[in-house]
Amino acid sequence: MSFEWPWQYNFPPFFTLQPNVDTRQKQLAAWCSLVLSFCRQSKLFTLDVLEAQESAVFNNNRIHRKLSVEAIQVVFEELRKKGNLEWLDKNKSRCLIMWRRPEEWGKLIHQWVSKNGMVNLVFTLYELSNGDDTEKEGIKYFMFPCYIALYQQNGNASLQNYNFTVKATVR
Amino acid sequence: MHRRGGGAEAIAKKKLAEAKYKERGTVLAEDQIAQMSKQLETFKTNLEEFASKHKQEIRKNSQFRVQFQEMCATIGVDPLASGKGFWSEMLGVGDFYYELGVQIIEVCLALKHRNGGLITLDELHHRVLKGRGKFAQDVSQDDLVRAIKKLKAMGNGFGMIPVGGSYLVQSVPAELNMDHTVVLQLAEKKGYVTVSEIRDSLKWERERASHVLDHLLKEGLAWLDSQAAGEPQYWLPALFSELLSRDVTPEEANQMTP
Repeated sequence: MSFEWPWQYNFPPFFTLQPNVDTRQKQLAAWCSLVLSFCRQSKLFTLDVLEAQESAVFNNNRIHRKLSVEAIQVVFEELRKKGNLEWLDKNKSRCLIMWRRPEEWGKLIHQWVSKNGMVNLVFTLYELSNGDDTEKEGIKYFMFPCYIALYQQNGNASLQNYNFTVKATVR
Repeated sequence: MHRRGGGAEAIAKKKLAEAKYKERGTVLAEDQIAQMSKQLETFKTNLEEFASKHKQEIRKNSQFRVQFQEMCATIGVDPLASGKGFWSEMLGVGDFYYELGVQIIEVCLALKHRNGGLITLDELHHRVLKGRGKFAQDVSQDDLVRAIKKLKAMGNGFGMIPVGGSYLVQSVPAELNMDHTVVLQLAEKKGYVTVSEIRDSLKWERERASHVLDHLLKEGLAWLDSQAAGEPQYWLPALFSELLSRDVTPEEANQMTP
């Protein structure tokens, strides 16, 4: 299924950081939405900033416009503030893209665990990440946040020995 | 020698005759007026009969509606006058335009986040028709213009700016003066405009052009494109041809600030 670009993508000014504050807000909201949709569709969980700069998301060759490095950083910062992005290194060269936020992942896991009737089950990440559901692939990147989320929802989750094991207790 | 009517007598006679003529003239005028009033009343009654007989036609057929409106205008009747009365109650013509006005407001509100409150009459027409569905009454651009005029009279912040043979409909109370309007008209062709184009076409000084463009940016009607070859371009989403008839996606709706 090919990706459907939003109307802004073909609008040349979309690639210029807007001077008007209100318009900029609209612009950044649209950029965040675009990055998240693109990553969701392409099943991307991490982004390398240098690679991203060259990707089609920030470069529209058809209209010869691209988002500048500074502007891309602004978009990433916006995503971080909204809880959809986390830097994996101090130099901000690589990041986690959470087109589903940790709380949402936590909820998904909880639902999956409840549905499969697992109680007091300790399952390794291997199981989780190689399940039928391709979405579980993303879980391996969200260990800590998921643990937190599960704990918050369930009141009872433990992370053991950093062995990528999640113990989920469903009440 | 032939005896003429004596000077004084003649004058008196003449005066009397004139007076009589004048009186007659007055009487005639009154007569005429009475007759015309009667004719007008008859005409109006006939028009009312005509209207009620062709009520369905008026509601369904937009061309019919135009002609009907024009007929009303010649005798000074406004079928859209709000409030009670023959026209709005009997015909429901008032309802038609009232409902249309509501629809227009809905469309403009739904797209305001995109175009800043400026939309072409063409796009508005297209979307109104779409919203009404296949089996609804036909709506012409003339209908839209009338409905918008009504909205404007009610003080809804509506206005119409003539551009390129049609109109841009303004649905937010952004202050647009003649300078802004003329630049909008210039931008209509390509969907964007530059300082040079304004200077060449309108013979303005750079500062005047920049001032207008800054205002359009400030009102959220224009976006800046600084990657254009040569000089910055100012684009108006309202005039962006690729955007016309492109629906608002759920994603887009989610981005809208409350």
